[in-house]
Amino acid sequence: MSYISFIFGQLVRNSRHGWTSQVMTLFTVSLSVLIFSFFFLIYINMQKASSRLGNELRLIVYLEQEVPEAFRQEFKKKITDFDKVDKIVFISREEAFERLTKQLGRDSDVLEDLDPSFLPYSVEIFPSSNLKSLTRIKDFSDYLVSLPGAVKVQYGQDWIERFGYFISLLRIIVILSGALLILTSVFMVSYTIRLTLESRQEELEILRFLGATDRYIRGPVIVEGFLLGLFGACSGLLSLFFLFQWIKNHFSGPAFMNLFELSFLPLANSATIFLISLLLCSSGSLISIRKYLKV
Amino acid sequence: MTSDIASPIDTSLIDIVKVTKTYPPDIMALDDVSMSVGHGEMVFLTGVSGAGKTTLLKLLCFLERPTMGLIEMNKKDISKLSGHDLQKMRQHIGVAYQDFRLLPKQTVYQNIALAMEVRYETPKDIKQRVLELLANLGLADKIHTPTGKLSRGEQQRVSIARACANKPPLILADEPTGNLDPAATALVMNLLKRLNEDGTTIIIATHDQSIYQKSDHRLINLENGKLQEIIKVNFDL
Ligand SMILES: Nc1ncnc2c1ncn2[C@@H]1O[C@H](COP(=O)(O)OP(=O)(O)OP(=O)(O)O)[C@@H](O)[C@H]1O
Ligand SMILES: [Mg+2]
Repeated sequence: MSYISFIFGQLVRNSRHGWTSQVMTLFTVSLSVLIFSFFFLIYINMQKASSRLGNELRLIVYLEQEVPEAFRQEFKKKITDFDKVDKIVFISREEAFERLTKQLGRDSDVLEDLDPSFLPYSVEIFPSSNLKSLTRIKDFSDYLVSLPGAVKVQYGQDWIERFGYFISLLRIIVILSGALLILTSVFMVSYTIRLTLESRQEELEILRFLGATDRYIRGPVIVEGFLLGLFGACSGLLSLFFLFQWIKNHFSGPAFMNLFELSFLPLANSATIFLISLLLCSSGSLISIRKYLKV
Repeated sequence: MTSDIASPIDTSLIDIVKVTKTYPPDIMALDDVSMSVGHGEMVFLTGVSGAGKTTLLKLLCFLERPTMGLIEMNKKDISKLSGHDLQKMRQHIGVAYQDFRLLPKQTVYQNIALAMEVRYETPKDIKQRVLELLANLGLADKIHTPTGKLSRGEQQRVSIARACANKPPLILADEPTGNLDPAATALVMNLLKRLNEDGTTIIIATHDQSIYQKSDHRLINLENGKLQEIIKVNFDL
């Protein structure tokens, strides 16, 4: 009990001369939490959208001639050599004709006198709907067109490809801003705490003469780092939440919403970001106290 | 000439065995010193300036390490103590430094309280003890004055109060009356005597003949880093 009240007494005493740097640090930590979690939020939403896209995504390879039953296994193997796929469907001319009829609906009478033979043979490939296959879709299609008998490959639109690139770019940004978060929280916190410690240097020396234990000296300092992390992460995540609400309210046009049903960071991710910044800030404070603990 | 000064009491608290301390480059501050101090003893350590008194006290609380020799506290070699045990040991030794080592910006109260805070004493106990000490030392009216604003004599008494705050089993006082007038000297010596009567072991390094002449405690003289003689000042015998 008296240990806890002592720690808080020390904290108040310390923050009396160091509050400007503490506020700066708090601000920096929460800003980097905000930046990181903001990009992470975009990333997660994009990922969701992409898997939704991925479900509808298929590549159609048009062939010169039908692949005979006996060779189909081999043909499939060639495709899966490149990447995992969910499903491969061989489409005969008759099936293609049927589909076309269905698609035309009421206008299907234009096909009435036609023979299915004007349609090409084709193979439909459904890539496994993960991010990787989306970003590699261009390579995949280049590969497919090089298969023997392939005439042309058709898939989604250009923008699917660009979307894939965008997601990989986003992934890099997430990693970079994560690194930024680590650097700022560890360095800013250890810097602030070093300032606090330096202003207390004389006191720390006397404390050692008086037999203060490591725990006594370390306690308030770790709590200071911990609190900086706590408040920094809280305000960072809260600002993200309000930013998210604002974006949602201002950009919820129907077209946009169909593709991106915006959702906030899942609780597990928020909690992880929270815990990690606590950990980083506490260890930042430990880094700077180490040299003061010599007996 | 003897350099082996045994304690008259059997169970010794401090054993110093053939301790030599040299400061760089080659200043011999202590030369082959051996002595013991028993539990509950009061010992005066005298010697001219530069004789090595402060050095000896610093060795006892491990602020300096001996160049050679062995120092035992309660029969334990203090050079073998872990960092944590050393910290604990210091909590049980009250030291009044010759140069006071107070925090000039903090008040008399805060300076004394610090010694008790490191032992996690409750604020209530701390307050009670500090008030008691300040009353004993005639400093009650200075309780909230920053120590930097005090006279040397007042600072000296604050540093003694801090050394006594925890009622430690061992007190090392380095020139505790160096800056004091006879009245203040009497206050300090009364406090130390009372603590000694309650069982505290006390070592006092001093030039001040007035405080040991009339006492019957052991007197140890240092000369050029050597223990030169024991003068028994014993009025009862
Ligand atoms: N840190 C140090 N570095 C070098 N020499 C030192 C150091 N501390 C003390 N000395 C020397 O060791 C010798 C003993 O010093 P010490 O302070 O123990 O003397 P003292 O008996 O306490 O003197 P005084 O009565 O003036 O306080 C002196 O010659 C001093 O100059
Ligand atoms: Mg001295």
